[in-house]
Amino acid sequence: MTSKTRLLLAAGAVAGVAGASPALAGGTTAGTSITNNVTVNYQVGGVAQNAVTASNSFTVDRKVDLTIVETGNATTSVSPGQTVAVTTFAVTNTSNEVLDFALTAAQLTGGSAPHGGTDNFNVTGLAVYVDTNGNGVYNAGTDLAATYVDELGIDATRTVFVVAAVPLGQATGDKAAVSLTATAREGGTATSQGAAISQTSGANTSGKDTVFTDGAGTDDAARDGAFSARDDYTVAAASLTVAKTSTVISDPVNGATDPKMIPGAVVEYCIAVTNAAGGAAASNVAISDPLPSQTTYLASGPGSIGIMLGGTVTGGVCNADGASGGSFASNTVSGTLASVPAGSSSTLRFRVTVN
Amino acid sequence: MKRLVFALAALLSPALAHAANDVALTSAVFVEKTVLANGQQKIVLEEPSLVVPGDKLVFVLNYRNRGATPATDFVVTNPMPGAVAFQSSPDQAAVVSIDGGRSWGTLSSLKVKESDGTVRGARPEDVTHVRWTFAKAIPAGQGGKLSFRGVVR
Repeated sequence: MTSKTRLLLAAGAVAGVAGASPALAGGTTAGTSITNNVTVNYQVGGVAQNAVTASNSFTVDRKVDLTIVETGNATTSVSPGQTVAVTTFAVTNTSNEVLDFALTAAQLTGGSAPHGGTDNFNVTGLAVYVDTNGNGVYNAGTDLAATYVDELGIDATRTVFVVAAVPLGQATGDKAAVSLTATAREGGTATSQGAAISQTSGANTSGKDTVFTDGAGTDDAARDGAFSARDDYTVAAASLTVAKTSTVISDPVNGATDPKMIPGAVVEYCIAVTNAAGGAAASNVAISDPLPSQTTYLASGPGSIGIMLGGTVTGGVCNADGASGGSFASNTVSGTLASVPAGSSSTLRFRVTVN
Repeated sequence: MKRLVFALAALLSPALAHAANDVALTSAVFVEKTVLANGQQKIVLEEPSLVVPGDKLVFVLNYRNRGATPATDFVVTNPMPGAVAFQSSPDQAAVVSIDGGRSWGTLSSLKVKESDGTVRGARPEDVTHVRWTFAKAIPAGQGGKLSFRGVVR
């Protein structure tokens, strides 16, 4: 027999693979039979003969492959005591079959946090939720707690949330790293987690074999039917300091000119709340100041300013600004500052007379 | 460059001689796998027992004129299986079709009209059929083989 052709492992053929590969994320469904048919038409003695055909077929096996991507590629900023701190992941089924994916979340203990810094505390109540309504955002009460992603289609992606609580008392910059691992499970039955999957061992069968083709995630090995990714929480706390100053405004003898702290003098108190730079804004900062018995709150009349909230501080000195608010009851001045941003101060001012 | 040798004797077994037709034809498919042998990567062809999407396939067509007279106007036509994307054929005589066999040409000569009206050159994955047309007659008793590559979609 003469071999009319030679099979060449040409470079062009390799380039062709790159061109065709983008369509192959999931690819042909497992169990599909691929049949190749070939036909020969020819003539003998100038007369067309019956066509000759030949065929062969084989079955596409199951490749189990998946990825998890931490959505957003940024740390989740949390407050101390926050009960619903959410990190977001996307689980993609790149297998050629519809599968379930078991989900487990874990804490990291020490070591580098994925978005910089070092893991130095643990969040509590770690739980996994799937994006039930598919909007990519965690909705409490709507997105349900789950131990697996149910019936994830070929090349389909499901958003998964890891939700935890942050202990009180954590300082700004504290980090807690978490990991999410998804493990492929048999699909086919909705609303129940399928059985574990193992690779076909030993000799290949003519039927549908199983091959793990997944890569190594942050917390799993390559070709283990699982994938994992990490994310972290970074605490942004408010660090408040309070300073109280007093200034003599006037006295009955000298008026406003070089007033002295004598009985009947009007004294202004300023309570300045300062939030350290680099943390989170503090909101609803409640201030209460019981007055000394030797003073009387100046609610109205000449020299009264009532209670001024949200004033500013310049060079450690309270400015004469802010807006009226607060209350006076039981000889106590009270007021609430709506928000004190990090790196700024806000004041509560009022005046008293000296008894 | 490598030369691959197939067990052609097995594929062209004497049993085929009982066929009524004067031309014998067989179709075989192999999976191209990269294996490590003695620390070196080596490309081998295996039986398609374990095939997953992305695997490279080599289709081999063996033909033989067992008649007593030359076979002329010899045309071999191979429609692509739907789940296989054509890649290339090493045979210069191979022409392809991207429209189900209505028109034929070399891949570089064919154009695809996109749904938005733009025209682009045909890509290997557009191929629907491969065809070999022999200018010369196949003498009695002579045969050969044809091959093309594909990848599992």
